[in-house]
Amino acid sequence: MTTQENPLGSIYILSQAIRTVARNAALQSYGVISLMPGNVGESVSRFFNKDADFGVLVKTEEDGVSLELNLVIEYGLRIKTVTDSVAESVKYAVEKTMAVPVKRVDVHVRGLRVSNPD
Amino acid sequence: MNQNKYVLPDEKERHLLLQSPLNGDGLMLLFEAGLIWLTTNQAYVNSLNVFPVPDGDTGTNMVLTMQAAFNEAYQGRSKNAGETAKAFAQGALMGARGNSGVILSQIWRGFSRALDHYETMGPDLLMRAMQEARNTAYKGVVKPVEGTILTVIKDMTSAAEEVVTTGASLSEMLLAIVEAGDVSVKNTPELLPVLKQAGVVDSGGTGLFYIFEGMVRLLQGQSLDASGAILKPLAELDLANAMETVEEGQDYEVVIDFAPNPGFALEKYYEDLAEIGTSIQVGEGDGIYRMHIHTELAKRFEPISYTETQGVVKKIMMENLQDQVSGGQPEEVELTLTPINPGEIAVVAVSPGKGLSSIFASLGVAAIVEGGQTMNPSVQELVAAFENLPTDKVIILPNNKNIILAAQNAAKVSVKQIGIIPTRNAPQGFAAMLRLNPEGSLEENEESMKEAIQEVHTGDITISTRSVEIDGVEVEKGEVIALYDGQLVSSAPTIEEAIQELLEKANMDEVERVTFFYGEDLNQTQANLLADAIRKDYPDVELEIHSGGQPHYQLIIAFE
Repeated sequence: MTTQENPLGSIYILSQAIRTVARNAALQSYGVISLMPGNVGESVSRFFNKDADFGVLVKTEEDGVSLELNLVIEYGLRIKTVTDSVAESVKYAVEKTMAVPVKRVDVHVRGLRVSNPD
Repeated sequence: MNQNKYVLPDEKERHLLLQSPLNGDGLMLLFEAGLIWLTTNQAYVNSLNVFPVPDGDTGTNMVLTMQAAFNEAYQGRSKNAGETAKAFAQGALMGARGNSGVILSQIWRGFSRALDHYETMGPDLLMRAMQEARNTAYKGVVKPVEGTILTVIKDMTSAAEEVVTTGASLSEMLLAIVEAGDVSVKNTPELLPVLKQAGVVDSGGTGLFYIFEGMVRLLQGQSLDASGAILKPLAELDLANAMETVEEGQDYEVVIDFAPNPGFALEKYYEDLAEIGTSIQVGEGDGIYRMHIHTELAKRFEPISYTETQGVVKKIMMENLQDQVSGGQPEEVELTLTPINPGEIAVVAVSPGKGLSSIFASLGVAAIVEGGQTMNPSVQELVAAFENLPTDKVIILPNNKNIILAAQNAAKVSVKQIGIIPTRNAPQGFAAMLRLNPEGSLEENEESMKEAIQEVHTGDITISTRSVEIDGVEVEKGEVIALYDGQLVSSAPTIEEAIQELLEKANMDEVERVTFFYGEDLNQTQANLLADAIRKDYPDVELEIHSGGQPHYQLIIAFE
């Protein structure tokens, strides 16, 4: 959870909300096919709820958050460019919509989907 | 390859090219034309980049991707269209740069798969290649965002599917593809709200459009190489040396930064400038062009008015060379800040320009932090400004609405007692400073200053950097806009007209005094001329003119 202040009071942003924004930005990013559970907890929640927001781990730090993305990427793309661009898009989306500084984005490529074998 | 000036294929080659179906050599010429025309328009494509991340590099990324594709295809070129396309797609994949580059590489991957091993490409095969390109591009993303390059390739493909039934030739089909691409690009703001807000079309889609338009321009024998004149990267402009060689009669040096309009023709620009002055140099960096010229005294404003017809002028620097040669260097203004006695109230002001800073200094501020519209100071910079002052009572004047939050954060991290007066511009800051009583309590001062800022109204005159509609006022890119207390009130072709409309909004009957702070883009003479118009219309109003030195805003006007 991160806290911000405005003249009227405090604003609390839960990791859950950040996760949703980050997940959507990742899925809209070109080359990203799906997200994968990043740890046991996420795997369990996916088992019980297939609509669960898994794939993005949010760690709250002193002055912002750090994110970990677990992705499946389309085969046949330049992976480095895709991952660079997804990290940038996610950072931008979270910072722009929630005004929470993103300190780190770690991207784990958990697999590739082959829809066009060459 | 691209370093050399591009030479259009001669008649014989073009004849060969126009023969439908197209072999590998012909396809290479199309790819090359697409690359060159995209490169020519690279700066414009960069300037459109707002989505997904507004980092202004779409054009560059697409050019680099196309360049890598072309180099690979050139190495592995063959008479066989399928093999040429395959090498091209491979190069695009390996050299893909940025989001748009990755999508482009998928487009060529699909394109080449359809051509697989075909000797030649006719209209039927081009249509199938476009279909594969579209399908492959869409497979790369689970949540496609429409209003992007994806939409443009889709619409282009639909056009190809449509004209293939009419028995169109290859060049007719390419023309239909380009026309559909043009319509599709123009429609992108309707599909993607962030584009509409920013008043731009999609950058990646525009880049794709230029690639295909380049192919059509080649087929129609139109020039692809708008930049016959030399265009250097900004860093390579040798302005320091250019200055030493002052020619007889060339009294003024003018340097203008501008964003060129689409279709900007560099060669013509050079020619026209040569009529005005000498030592002409033009450089480019990040979509901004910088022009350097020496002119005689009487012509010193001509490069500005001429460049305004060619693009959006961002910044103008002008120096009197004769003055420089005779040793008179422009003086750095030394600021004398007010020393603070222990326990007194210290005021920290954020100021966007030198002239404004010296006014703040003369009014008694203890510290000044540079910052403004596009250069917000950080919390650390604000804290550093007052941390070492020998007092625990500090008042911050942010003087910009975007800096108020940073000031609040600075107050949180400091152990001192901090009062923040939410001043949204420099005139409000001045009004607040006039109420300062350094020996009074922080609360009294805050209250009195907050009252003071209600009594001053502010007008801003600046140039719009893009076409947009805000507060019911329609703004064309490059027009002069006027804001009254932060609200857009007018958009006009000249500063004079914008001021006229601003004055109508400003309720001049109740105004006793008007103060002009002219920015770094204007000089005193220009500001005086503008003020004369007000003197004529409102003879009872007291009028003062000061150099504010702020960037971006030609004028900040205070109404009291």
